[in-house]
Amino acid sequence: MLTMTIAWRNIFRQKRRTTLTILTLLGGFTLSAISIGWSDGTYNRIIEMFTRNRLGHIQIHAAGYLDRPSLYRNITNGAELGSRIEDIPEVEAWTPRLFSAALASVAEKTSGVQIVGINPEREARATRFDRKIIDGRSLSAEAAHETVIGRGLARTLKAGCGDEIVVVSQGADGSIANDLYTIVGILESGDAIQDQASLYLHLADAQELLVLAGAVHELVVIASSLEDVAQATEAIQSRLNEPNLEVAPWQEFARPFYVAMKADQQGSWIGLFIIVLIVSIGVLNTILMTVLERTREYGVLKAVGTRPGQVFRLVLYEVWIMSIVGVTIGAGISLIINYTLSIHGIVMPQAFTYGGMEFTHYYAEVNARSILIPAVTVILSAVLVSILPALRAARVAPARALRTH
Amino acid sequence: MSHADTHDLIVTTGVTKTYQDNGVPVHAVRGIDLTIRCGEFTAIVGPSGSGKTTILNIISGLDTVTSGEVWLAGKQLSAMSGTELSDFRRDRVGFIFQAYNLIPVLTVEENVEYIMLLQGVSKQERHDRVDKILGELGLAGFAHRLPTKLSGGQQQRVAIARAMVSGPAIILADEPTANLDSKTGAELLDMMRTLNENSGITFLFSTHDTQIMERARRLITLRDGVIHSDEVRG
Ligand SMILES: Nc1ncnc2c1ncn2[C@@H]1O[C@H](COP(=O)(O)OP(=O)(O)OP(=O)(O)O)[C@@H](O)[C@H]1O
Ligand SMILES: [Mg+2]
Repeated sequence: MLTMTIAWRNIFRQKRRTTLTILTLLGGFTLSAISIGWSDGTYNRIIEMFTRNRLGHIQIHAAGYLDRPSLYRNITNGAELGSRIEDIPEVEAWTPRLFSAALASVAEKTSGVQIVGINPEREARATRFDRKIIDGRSLSAEAAHETVIGRGLARTLKAGCGDEIVVVSQGADGSIANDLYTIVGILESGDAIQDQASLYLHLADAQELLVLAGAVHELVVIASSLEDVAQATEAIQSRLNEPNLEVAPWQEFARPFYVAMKADQQGSWIGLFIIVLIVSIGVLNTILMTVLERTREYGVLKAVGTRPGQVFRLVLYEVWIMSIVGVTIGAGISLIINYTLSIHGIVMPQAFTYGGMEFTHYYAEVNARSILIPAVTVILSAVLVSILPALRAARVAPARALRTH
Repeated sequence: MSHADTHDLIVTTGVTKTYQDNGVPVHAVRGIDLTIRCGEFTAIVGPSGSGKTTILNIISGLDTVTSGEVWLAGKQLSAMSGTELSDFRRDRVGFIFQAYNLIPVLTVEENVEYIMLLQGVSKQERHDRVDKILGELGLAGFAHRLPTKLSGGQQQRVAIARAMVSGPAIILADEPTANLDSKTGAELLDMMRTLNENSGITFLFSTHDTQIMERARRLITLRDGVIHSDEVRG
């Protein structure tokens, strides 16, 4: 309709003002989009390191294990369960683990440790176990009474590759379990606290030590990506469908971490709010000025029979067009910036550690959220602040407007 | 009553209008009984402040009365809602303003088309009517120009085209020639009178230019908000 034509041409009348308004919209949008992309990137990276490198995206336990871990709450058919879920498209890898507390000594030194029985090949594929070895090598594929210990533990025990280590624990049958292993590797997981205590054994060795033949405590599942975790969890649940099993995504088994991440992300909403405020004031200023200047024109339009609603729309169309232009250009710019930042990242002025892991770079993420949220908020706030000026234009009394020269 | 007569286009009875100017009442119009019949070519004259603009605005529904009644084309204005009034003006009243008041971002053609678009006239019909009226008003070559690229006289002719093209019952013009030089003003008035004679459309305009009043066929003189004289000429 002609209202649209008038709105469109109106925005070219005050080129400077229109340009400034569009720049405000564009700037607000781009800042929001980058800050969301950036915060998503940073958080997802933390989450990804936290989960993918250690805990996994999804964990399967015997019912009740998460609430109260115990040697006896174990899964006896781990390998079979694993084979049942491995062809789910969202499942990338799975690996079994067996846990127990123990005492470990090398020569005169003794320390409390956590035994982690693993399948070296699966663990390498799922959590890149082999890449965390900073000295020596990983465990052999077959059980060979070898062990890999955390870096902190190695320091406490003043032990190194080639040393013999005595491990004392309690077997599932109540017997005293003890055995001798050779340290073949020192590992750094990124979590220094964990490295103070971790002692990795081949799963078969651990099962033998603890008298738990064939049993595991945990199946760790890695999903194809963070976004697929929910879907993968559901698929696994329906695939296994056993009441004595618990399938938990990382948000559940690492609840405190999840809550902390959420709380931190709340902070970015404040930034978004401030940006929206600036955009709103900018747009309001332009539209108010425009409406005041064109009072006479609106009077003429109304005199010749334009309905108030049509005048109202005329003003909103102008805002709408400027918003769309600003957001479209902004989306292009944001995508380019976020994409670049997702590949190269930015070196942090100061590296920081989170949950024992070190971060040196900021990486942005390219996702729909970082475009859609700013698009909706920017357009919505621009349109909302324009409602009052538009009403004012719609209510112009033609007789009075025409008398003012 | 006389307003039932189908030939009476405008009937006002006892119309008064009192403005408040910072709390001080200004009696702009003080009791006007006026009947305008179809096809008239009438001028409202009178000194500045005598109420010409006020009565024209009241007749077109742009302003409300303080007391009294107005019937236009058989409709009682005070009985209509805002939207009804706006649709009524769109369909029945053509406006010509002193300051032309064309929509600056629309071309001549689009300005003339505007009201027909509001009315939902078909594209073909709109183009035919626009071509015809621009031709009649000597604006054939200017269809795609913007108003700012035209002289005052040309702009006012576009305004006439805009007012006429949708086929209103009456054209109201408040000092249509006041911004033009006297020669152009006279030409414009002659053009309006020709349109009045050819198409029978009713014109009611205000002026204080004596040369312009000469051309009216009926002359209503206002003084201090009341009709001072009302004469029909040749
Ligand atoms: N909105 C208003 N508020 C207060 N007073 C008004 C208003 N509009 C008009 N008036 C007053 O009403 C009176 C009549 O004004 P009006 O404009 O109708 O006169 P006019 O005959 O058209 O004069 P002119 O020839 O100068 O255009 C004047 O005294 C004017 O000051
Ligand atoms: Mg006047």
